[in-house]
Amino acid sequence: MESVVAGVVIAVIKILVILGIVLGVGAYLTWVERKVAAHIQRRPGPMVVGWHGLLQPIADGLKLITKEDLFPRYGNKFLYNLAIVLALVPATLVFAVVPFGPEFELFGYRIKPILTDVNVALLLVFGLGSLAVYAIAIAGWASNSKYPLIGSMRKAGIIISYEVAITFAVMGPLILAGTLSTYEIVQRQIEQNLWYIWVQPIAFVVFLFSLLAETGRVPFDIQEAEAELVTGFTVEYGGMKFGLFPLVEWYVEVLSLSAIAVVLFFGGWSPINIPFMGFVDPLFFLGPFSPYVWFLLKVTVLFLFILWLHWTLPRYRIDQITEIAWKVMLPLALINIVLTAIIAPVVWR
Amino acid sequence: MIKRVTAKPLSWLERALFIDFIKGLSVTIRHAFSRTITTHYPYEKLTPPKRFRGFFAHKVVDGNEPQPAYDEWVERFKIEVIPGKSRCVVCMLCKRACPVPQLFEIEGKKLENGRRVVSVFNMNLMLCTFCGFCVDACPVDCLYQTDIHETASYTRKDSILDLELLEKIGKDWQMRRENEPDRIWIDDSQRDKLWHENKVKLPEAEIRGRHEW
Repeated sequence: MESVVAGVVIAVIKILVILGIVLGVGAYLTWVERKVAAHIQRRPGPMVVGWHGLLQPIADGLKLITKEDLFPRYGNKFLYNLAIVLALVPATLVFAVVPFGPEFELFGYRIKPILTDVNVALLLVFGLGSLAVYAIAIAGWASNSKYPLIGSMRKAGIIISYEVAITFAVMGPLILAGTLSTYEIVQRQIEQNLWYIWVQPIAFVVFLFSLLAETGRVPFDIQEAEAELVTGFTVEYGGMKFGLFPLVEWYVEVLSLSAIAVVLFFGGWSPINIPFMGFVDPLFFLGPFSPYVWFLLKVTVLFLFILWLHWTLPRYRIDQITEIAWKVMLPLALINIVLTAIIAPVVWR
Repeated sequence: MIKRVTAKPLSWLERALFIDFIKGLSVTIRHAFSRTITTHYPYEKLTPPKRFRGFFAHKVVDGNEPQPAYDEWVERFKIEVIPGKSRCVVCMLCKRACPVPQLFEIEGKKLENGRRVVSVFNMNLMLCTFCGFCVDACPVDCLYQTDIHETASYTRKDSILDLELLEKIGKDWQMRRENEPDRIWIDDSQRDKLWHENKVKLPEAEIRGRHEW
């Protein structure tokens, strides 16, 4: 009985911590993105609200909350509101299977810093990732307007193409690790003294492309396409309802997929890896906190890299995007799987 | 003849290694770590050029009037010349030149000694396009456009410039910038911060009164 209560308490604490981190950080990433974008264009970005605009996300949030909530005539109110929930919940749920660090012991309880260490974690990730398309398709449909519908159709086309590519891309690391559990995948990388990026660079490139496409980042931001579609499926949304879509798409989803990429290719919480030799930890002085810092550091670097790409590249056309998915990325991923499947058993078994 | 210009297509290897991506990324990272070139507007302000088309002003009588035009107009309309007051001779040429003439409201009055003077000169800037035709038309170099460009106001009434305000702005402008040589930009510290790369030293122009040329 006591262990059940303890389990529930621990789970609730984990949920609160993860929700707090994800949504709080997600809001502040708007500031990070604006700063990065501004400096790439040689502007200083937000400077007025707080020191270097540090309070800007709060000001934006207040502004969005106090705005009038408009609803398009002849739209479908139920689906209109459902789309927001469908966008927010799956994107946040992905963090349930992200391992933040190694197992530790506190007050006699063994705690894994992962909400649920299920053995189908990656399937869950991609299942939830695919749910994003429903949010956007429903948002476009319920708005009863042309631009949102075009935007959501484009997004649906992209996600359907890239879900296939991303699923095949992660097959390589899966074959090497021999498990679907995210926690176990990191453990295997540490046991094998190998970040999978060293042997799976093709898979990583495919994964990165799919990540950009799924989260609607440049060069695949065709569903938003400010110049043509205003902002795509969010046109008819106002106030905080409008604010939630970019928050979810650009920040929470990018964060979650970056975390998954770090887990799959960069050895999760492990320090710098020398292939097949071992790990070098320049942050050893942090003691037990070093794994968490490493994990956050890797996710941050990946996130900043995605921002850098976003503010550098132009946008592809919709036909080019799907062409890349089906004609380049999918065959590459398949070749990668075949090679891995042939070579991996020879090396490790 | 049409000259076709196309970029050299990327080779197979360049595509595979994302050379074009890397080139673009290297450009943006270099810019990301160089200085920003923003002027933080409400806190730092640029000085507009002398010929900037901003708020209107009436130059006042200070001995620098364009001669002999000014004396001729004064003679023709029997204008009372009061130093420190507007040079306006109520010729209405600004109203004639204006594309939206109703924005001007100009009246003169007769003084007891029989000479005349401008009494009302209202400009409704709600209708104004700041085209500067009235300034070109002014024969006595009275109506003028200054470098004041923060023209926003809380009420519509505030957007009407009356004679008093025009004279006030004119005096201010004459004090600040009348003697400045005509140049496109003046080199103040803000601009120096922006364009420090191509700092050019312009030859010092000889300052002359308007009447000499």
